[in-house]
Amino acid sequence: MDPLTLLRGVLDTAEDAARALVGRERIRLAVTGLSRAGKTVFLTSLIANLLAAGKGARTLPALSDAAGGRIRRVFVVPAGTETVPRFDPDAHLGALAADPPRWPERTEDFSTLSIAFDVERRTSLGGLLPDRQVTLDLIDYPGEWLLDLPMLRQGYAAWSAETTARLRHGVRADAAADFLAFVDGLPADAPAEDALAKRGYTLYRDALRVCRDTHGLRFLQPGRFLNPGPRGEAPLLWFFPLPEGAKGGLADLCARRYAAYLEDQRATFLDPYFSRFHRQVVLVDVLGALHAGEAAFTDTADALSAVASIISGANWLERLLGAAPTRVAFAATKADHVPARARDALAALVEHISFGARGRAEQSGAAVSCHAVAAIRCTEDAVARLEGQAVAAVRGVLLQDGRGATIYPGEVPMKPPEPAFWEAGLFSMPEFRPPRLDPAGASGMPHLGLDELLAWLVGDLL
Amino acid sequence: MTTAQGPGPAPRIILDEATTPAPRLDFGWEKAVAAVAPPGGRGWSTPALLGAGAAVLVLGLSLLEAGNFVAAQFDRAAWLGWLTLAVAAGGFGLVFTAIWREARGYLALRSVDRARAAHARGDVATLRAELEAWQARLPPSRARAEGLADMPADAVCALVEAKALVPIAQDAAALGRAAAVQAFAVTAVSPSPGLDALVFVWRGIRLVRQVAALHGFRPGIAGTVSLLRRVALDAAMVAATDVAVDAMVRGVLSSRIVEHVAGEAAAGAVAARRMILLARATDEACRVLPRR
Repeated sequence: MDPLTLLRGVLDTAEDAARALVGRERIRLAVTGLSRAGKTVFLTSLIANLLAAGKGARTLPALSDAAGGRIRRVFVVPAGTETVPRFDPDAHLGALAADPPRWPERTEDFSTLSIAFDVERRTSLGGLLPDRQVTLDLIDYPGEWLLDLPMLRQGYAAWSAETTARLRHGVRADAAADFLAFVDGLPADAPAEDALAKRGYTLYRDALRVCRDTHGLRFLQPGRFLNPGPRGEAPLLWFFPLPEGAKGGLADLCARRYAAYLEDQRATFLDPYFSRFHRQVVLVDVLGALHAGEAAFTDTADALSAVASIISGANWLERLLGAAPTRVAFAATKADHVPARARDALAALVEHISFGARGRAEQSGAAVSCHAVAAIRCTEDAVARLEGQAVAAVRGVLLQDGRGATIYPGEVPMKPPEPAFWEAGLFSMPEFRPPRLDPAGASGMPHLGLDELLAWLVGDLL
Repeated sequence: MTTAQGPGPAPRIILDEATTPAPRLDFGWEKAVAAVAPPGGRGWSTPALLGAGAAVLVLGLSLLEAGNFVAAQFDRAAWLGWLTLAVAAGGFGLVFTAIWREARGYLALRSVDRARAAHARGDVATLRAELEAWQARLPPSRARAEGLADMPADAVCALVEAKALVPIAQDAAALGRAAAVQAFAVTAVSPSPGLDALVFVWRGIRLVRQVAALHGFRPGIAGTVSLLRRVALDAAMVAATDVAVDAMVRGVLSSRIVEHVAGEAAAGAVAARRMILLARATDEACRVLPRR
């Protein structure tokens, strides 16, 4: 830890203590998730249900009970002079409630929002003092960028060797065939030509896109290659992994751009938003990974573990300064895509798939819990008859054409499946229409398990 | 199902036979999470029943007695009957006007609860109607927020806050300061602590009514009592603050000479501060919107 970071940590800790003393705590909740895990919908539902709960609706009963019914008001903190765009829950809710409904587009930039709770004090003497005000800071960001964090602890050579080795195996090899042919054909001392750099970058980026969109893989680096954000594809991105032994001008150019890229990500992403937070929720689309096949399932677990090693892996000094989360929840999202009896299995499966990540968090002294949640419930339980036997299924309305459908999502194992499991083949879960919603959000939105997750995460702080 | 590791039936989608779009699911969420209504009032309290009964008896029997008396006067002479009727009608008219004014002043305070409840449950239409009705009751010279009909709820609240509630709060603070100066002066020159208390109570009630008037309320006796009950919670905070301020001031001025010179001034300062906080608490109790 460098002296500047240490000083900032000390100042932040002092600020936290002062805020707690005057009853104005600020909780930074890191909502972490790989791409398509459902962060934007999770935040929209969380905000809508919290605001409705602040008006007396029983949208989050477990959280309300955890707080002893002392939540008096919940409101969005007015905007200050932030340079970061503001997360717009009303727009997302309006799109979900519209006819026809629209799910949020892929997140392409940061956005933040703070929500404040007025909470009655616990003690009897507290009646003489004004209510406590607890502020919850939330951030939405492209999930792809999260995979840049493990790169911060790697040099270009190590990252290149690891990435090219990974590209030569399994489904990645097919997706990256053109790219691998290109880099294998380059001379070891290739000159620093921008045309070569850009060609390599384009082929590598296209390979990453195929891995993500066709094979459902998530451990894809660098994140901005897949989601460049509002600044677009700047020359900073024109690098790619080179095989071991590459030493020429092109290798130097790629190494310089790699370092500059990481510095930029550190300055704009990690330091402002991930250097210090109090609670963390890791969202995992474990069902999507299960349906995408063995490679995607293993890849998701590897990606989670790699990210957790940076985010949750705090040392003793960081723990002492309060820079490490004290509670980390792993949540399997889209729990409404399986029938009620399979949701416990989903939570158990996320416990297994996040084994490496949980280990990192627990080593840091954080309490860890696993959940299955649906930020917005889009299905109801049903029974389907398959091959002459009745099986538990879910029923919903398809987004594409509005037709009703019963979906049998397959077996949900409670632990990583045996090889025979994958013989069932791949499956693509269709998108559902959200249920009927109040566009004004007065009643929040239907969910599964969101209240229990929040009660565990922040209930003790209210 | 959940633990099997075999291949089992493959996942699949079974489309409905109907090709027409299905209605969106409805979980009845709004009803399921609707705020539990607080238990209704248990009716009138015993003192209220006693008071109302006594009032009905006094007024009803007085009316009957007056009616009998007017009828007897008409028996004596027509002009005497008309004169008695006019006197009785005038007298009872004034009494009923006073009762009507009391009731109106008392019920006007309920509009604060209605507006705040509409704000809490996000009922924009009711909130807008209550805010417009409240603005209509404000003194003519007071600035009002216009064009609320087309605005979203947040903007309505922000505009009413900026245009009406903030200036009212500033005026309430000014009234509190004026009352504080008077309380300070009276405490400093008053010959007896008993008179201090009397003056403070009188000035405090007057201050509460003045601040209520800023919010467009004209509380009578019943309205003032109701308002004082609303202020009571905040007044508890006022009392707690008093203890701290009093202890601090007396602690600082612990020197005998200084205490002698400034002792009464310290008591006056506490009384003055009490007035300022009372004005603030009353403003809080009368606000149609919770403080942002």
